[in-house]
Amino acid sequence: MRNILLVCAAGMSTSLLVQKMEKEAASMGHEGKIWAVSVDEINAHIDSADIVLVGPQIRYKLPKLKELGNEKGIPVEMINPSDYGMMNARNILEASFKILDGKGA
Amino acid sequence: MNKLQNFLDVKLMPIAGRISEQRHLQAIRDGIILALPLLIIGSFFLIIGFLPINGYNDFMAGIFGPSWLDKLLYPVGATFDLLALFVSFGVAYRLAEKYKVDPVSAGVISVSAFMLATPFHVSFTPEGAGKAVEVGGAIPQALMGSQGMFVAIILAILSTEIFRKIIQKNVVIKMPDGVPPAVARSFTALVPALAVIITVWVLRLLIELTPFESIHAIVKDLLATPLSYLGGSLWGTLIAVFLMMLLWSMGLHGDAIVGSVMAPIWLQLMDENRKVFQANPNAELPHVVTQQFIDLWLNIGGTGVTLALVLLMLIRARSKQMKQLGKLAFGASLFNISEPVVFGTPIVMNPTLLIPFILAPLVSVVITYFAMDWGWVAKPNGVLVPWTSPVLVSGYLATGGKISGMVLQAVNVVVAMLIYYPFFRAWDKKKMEEELSSEKTAEPAVKTNTLDI
Repeated sequence: MRNILLVCAAGMSTSLLVQKMEKEAASMGHEGKIWAVSVDEINAHIDSADIVLVGPQIRYKLPKLKELGNEKGIPVEMINPSDYGMMNARNILEASFKILDGKGA
Repeated sequence: MNKLQNFLDVKLMPIAGRISEQRHLQAIRDGIILALPLLIIGSFFLIIGFLPINGYNDFMAGIFGPSWLDKLLYPVGATFDLLALFVSFGVAYRLAEKYKVDPVSAGVISVSAFMLATPFHVSFTPEGAGKAVEVGGAIPQALMGSQGMFVAIILAILSTEIFRKIIQKNVVIKMPDGVPPAVARSFTALVPALAVIITVWVLRLLIELTPFESIHAIVKDLLATPLSYLGGSLWGTLIAVFLMMLLWSMGLHGDAIVGSVMAPIWLQLMDENRKVFQANPNAELPHVVTQQFIDLWLNIGGTGVTLALVLLMLIRARSKQMKQLGKLAFGASLFNISEPVVFGTPIVMNPTLLIPFILAPLVSVVITYFAMDWGWVAKPNGVLVPWTSPVLVSGYLATGGKISGMVLQAVNVVVAMLIYYPFFRAWDKKKMEEELSSEKTAEPAVKTNTLDI
């Protein structure tokens, strides 16, 4: 079970990506929740996440979000912009699994 | 390019971060967002009330009686007309949340402070009387709406700052153990609330000694009026949009950053239009630039009029990558979400496409501004159409059901396509060359190569 939380300004474009990631994740045999919220709602959601992925358009918030992630022991990473634009769900999933594996989760 | 990117990451990013992280600006933005669902619901009733169909009014009056419109607009009075009240609670709530002090207490104290600053009398002209009389004991509806919004914001910040400072200094009444936490919390709020009320009370008493009659009058003269000139002018808008686009060209969410400063102004201008429209649907509306102007005539397909670029990809792309992106981004673009095309093309830090990306919305500002100012196109009537509404539908609804609003959106997209076209061709060609050199085998990409102009 690995829960992936995506955040962006309004949670709109990340919610598009969520659909693609869910499909891709199912075909990779991954179980767990993938969902998107606006960055203002992150506090209510971060505790149920194993990793937080941040849309590149709000990367100016990354330092603050990483700080929050540190407090909670949850990795917070920016999504690669070109993967984000092309909605390349597989690359994004693989990258986040790599981080989660590295963390020994 | 990498040097530039580095420079921007080091210099620009912290500034963008600071602006958007600035507590008070953030609280203002989030507090206003709290009211948006209500404004959209209110808009819904406005749209039904003013459907632009001949004979509609008589038809409705025939079914529901002559005062059908007044009754239909009750919800408008409880949504739009209470905007300042929601903002007063919302801004204080969000700010207190950031300070990690009890947000609900901060919210109600702020509402109380706002009411304390508002004189409870309205001027009223009785039927048959020549002169207006002052009636006491009434909350003036005008000041509860967008007109009172700036006072609401200022007092929400002032009262929450006082509230949290006192709590953080721990000057509070503490209850012994065994008292339920909810009760204890309300006592915690007692001293800070008293401090807020006394401050605002004294402030009002002092202001009543001056020629200004209320805090509302001062804020209107010193802040709201100058700001709305700035935000409503062509130059002010061009500068705001240019900054948004500049931030987006670095891949930062420009609307979220610039919007935190501009949204209160644009929203107020929008609501002034709504009031005029509601009183008389055929009246000349006072403002061209409103929140809707930005959302619906510039951000078509998302920031940068990118629907134009996506359409070019769909009908003119020859490289596989651009074709695929066109299909991928079209759905999102229809609902004004531009991230796929902004990051996928990419437009970010791409010298070829940055020029049209910044130019297209600026040209759209100029076209839209003059088309509306000269009366060729209906102005947005204050109905809050959500920014995710598809193009054409949104232009029709936001102008109170005028075809001209729709046509102008189409014109903006076509103009943007012309602006994007040469740059898009250059980029598409480059992508195609990359694809051809990476796979020398004969590909269908060459066969479809018949669209050359």
